[in-house]
Amino acid sequence: MNKMNLKPKNLDLKHIRKVFICVAAGTGAGLVVYGIFLYYNIAIYGWNLGLIFAPLIAGYVETLLANRIIGENIGAISAFILFIDTTFYSFILKNPSLGFNIITAGSTIIILQAAFPTLINYILLVVVGGILASFIKSLKRGAARIKKAILNQRIIMWDGKIPEEPVEIIPYFDENKSNATLNNLDFYFLTSSDMRDKKHDIIGINQSEVIIDKDAKLIKIEPEKIEQHHLVEIKNGKDECLIKLANQIKSQGGNGVLDLTISYGLIGMGGDNIQITAMGMGIYLY
Amino acid sequence: MILTSSNTLENKQIIEYKGLVTGESLIGANIYKDLFSGVRDVVGGRTSRYEEEIQKARDLSLNSMIEKAESLGANAIIGLKISYDNLGGTMGNTILVTAYGTAIKYE
Repeated sequence: MNKMNLKPKNLDLKHIRKVFICVAAGTGAGLVVYGIFLYYNIAIYGWNLGLIFAPLIAGYVETLLANRIIGENIGAISAFILFIDTTFYSFILKNPSLGFNIITAGSTIIILQAAFPTLINYILLVVVGGILASFIKSLKRGAARIKKAILNQRIIMWDGKIPEEPVEIIPYFDENKSNATLNNLDFYFLTSSDMRDKKHDIIGINQSEVIIDKDAKLIKIEPEKIEQHHLVEIKNGKDECLIKLANQIKSQGGNGVLDLTISYGLIGMGGDNIQITAMGMGIYLY
Repeated sequence: MILTSSNTLENKQIIEYKGLVTGESLIGANIYKDLFSGVRDVVGGRTSRYEEEIQKARDLSLNSMIEKAESLGANAIIGLKISYDNLGGTMGNTILVTAYGTAIKYE
């Protein structure tokens, strides 16, 4: 039975030495670059750019050498060393008061990316990308819900509960009943200015109003029925207004109205209400 | 059925006042109608589509009023008033057309 050889293939002294040379060269190059940046004070808002470029150069030099000498990539060990060195030097020794800002954050990400390329790339592309994709998906889902709710004329419940279904109300107004009611009040509604061959006493000008809340009652009605519903509301309002006027004149001893006018108008904030007004000269007919 | 906005009927005698008769109708908002009216406004001239709709609504109101007068046994309507009111609406142009008058019987 053959024994499995568990010893790593290239784990010998010669190989380790080559790796050490590559890491040392990378670290050296990084330190030189960092020194240059420090010497010339190449910085933005107090943040030395050497903190970014030193690990990058270190990693680049190390990788270049490793590919040439060993023939494979050994990872950016020197970049990680530089990251530790420069961070320790900048944050602790040189400038412990350096605050956290967007440049600090961006630079830290770049340094980390240079030191741990695979991990940081994974975090950036998979984790951050996944969070962004999930966020966009949620936005799209929300937009679709809003669109659906608008189409259905329904109120959106942000807690996810489904609102009650719209109630279908069939607008109906009984014209004959309305006509009979108005003309069986023992009261004369006259749009003309006088009654020929009939004596009368003048009681005085009278007016009555009815306000219809245009929108509050219509919130659950299908859009195509809104206008029909408005019309029914207006007709009911008109009847109510005329009955009010008649009762008003009756209470003053009258039994009719001359020169009757009925007017309609919008009132309220944004024209939310319809005002119906009936006006005329109250009279007593003998 | 005679319709008049005057207080009397010339050469005819009113024998009975039957009562008040009314008729109402609404012209709803219509995006296509509005669109074409807008085009006509830009080009110039009359917005005939709107005119037709308003005429239709007015006829509806008058017919409703006449039917009521007939049901009361009247043969004329005096003191006739017709009004057009903009009631807003979703497109801002829902128009209410109302007609009302005094139903009478003459001979």
